[in-house]
Amino acid sequence: MPKHIASGLKYLAALELVRDGYSQKQISKMLNVNKSTLSHYLNGRNISLGSIEIAEIVREFSPRDFLVFTDAIIEDKEATKTIVKTCLVNKYSVEVKDSCIGCGICVDTCLIDAIVLDDLKAHIDSDICCGCRICAEKCPTNSINILEE
Amino acid sequence: MAANIKEVKAKDFNVERSAEEDRELSFKDESCVGCGVCETICPVGAIKLGSVGAIVRNDIDESKIEIDEEKCVLCGMCSVGCPVDALEFTVDGTPISEIETYPKLISSAEIDDDTCIYCKACERACPREAITVARQLPDRSKLVTGEIDIDKETCIDCGICEEMCPADAITIDQKGPEDFDIAVDKDKCVYCLVCKKACPVDAIMAACRTCSYGEYDLDPKDAEVTGKALIDDDACVRCGWCEEVCPVDAAKVEKPFEGELNLDLDKCTTCGACVDVCPCDVLFFPKSSAPATLDDKLMKDEQFCIYCGACENVCPVEAIDVKRTGIKCTPTKSKSWQKSIDSLKTN
Repeated sequence: MPKHIASGLKYLAALELVRDGYSQKQISKMLNVNKSTLSHYLNGRNISLGSIEIAEIVREFSPRDFLVFTDAIIEDKEATKTIVKTCLVNKYSVEVKDSCIGCGICVDTCLIDAIVLDDLKAHIDSDICCGCRICAEKCPTNSINILEE
Repeated sequence: MAANIKEVKAKDFNVERSAEEDRELSFKDESCVGCGVCETICPVGAIKLGSVGAIVRNDIDESKIEIDEEKCVLCGMCSVGCPVDALEFTVDGTPISEIETYPKLISSAEIDDDTCIYCKACERACPREAITVARQLPDRSKLVTGEIDIDKETCIDCGICEEMCPADAITIDQKGPEDFDIAVDKDKCVYCLVCKKACPVDAIMAACRTCSYGEYDLDPKDAEVTGKALIDDDACVRCGWCEEVCPVDAAKVEKPFEGELNLDLDKCTTCGACVDVCPCDVLFFPKSSAPATLDDKLMKDEQFCIYCGACENVCPVEAIDVKRTGIKCTPTKSKSWQKSIDSLKTN
């Protein structure tokens, strides 16, 4: 059952990526799905409708729930990152305050590798950030502000 | 997220978090002076200074600091603030003192071997027993001003010279009633001529090296003391005693903090906790200068103070005020780190 939902999520992401102009070859790499499976997905075959419906429901989750759920069932970090980035449409702007002490807890908690440390300060890539706010809540100095654009 | 793992070994501990990076904080109680700088600088209140007064007096057997690994975020600030390197912080196995982005206190203690005469004054003065002077002394026989020889034909085997020799350099090997060997150990003989003066039969001849030409044939190289002065960085607290006592200015010490140490002798109850905790032998009780004289209750040699604040922390009556006015530290681009380092200054 989780595998079916995973397929559903990959299907949704694949549709978005096709729309964005990626080739099937690129998409198969990005989602870690072999090309024939992907082609079946895109032709509406080999995937139960129920899976797609559930995936659609999952897509409506809050960013955090969507991310945590996807991370749990996809079991592939790069594919998770692709799905989260393509399925969540909201944009976020992230600000790290000067009170950041560079402890790296945010780096460790971020499930999609949006954060790096530089000069003892966290730098969060707003393009990758999915707005889950896990880092902001774990930050010991409350230094992370995530704003929905 | 990976949780912190704490490992306690006697009074030492390690806190570790392994995820994107391996971060590890290690505490060595032996190096810790109980100053509480780590407690002050910790941004998350994870470090608590123990009952240092009781610990240094061996009333209780505990670690000088405690860390709450649930609170610790492994940022490394305590390690940077610690003036005595009792807390080491590593990222992916590299100590942050070697990572450029982290600031570090500027302090050092060095003994220049080229200048050092290996007199061991520093070794005796060091309050932390951090200095070891390993020296090789010159060959004594090369430094004595002459040598003696015993004419065995004249010698009557009386043994007076053997008994009187202050350096135990003469041995008589008695083989039979009239059969003996007498020998002078040139490594031991210091050419004091006691034997020659004591010999009842004038059997001892002396050949002086400060010969009739008035020249002394001692080669200065033969008198050279060689060696090496070693400072144990883990034990050294950069107090400056070695620099002060060194007769040839071979020791150089740079302290990380500048400040002032003020004693309020009206409040002092002479409990001695500060004297016991001070890692630098700065504080001491004066010896009575004369009978029935009332001296100061407590005295200080402030030039050796590192302004760590351990004495102020243990004083039960707030009779000590340690002001830190300057922190010597390498620069950091992080404003929060700069702020934390500056917070070690007292107002």
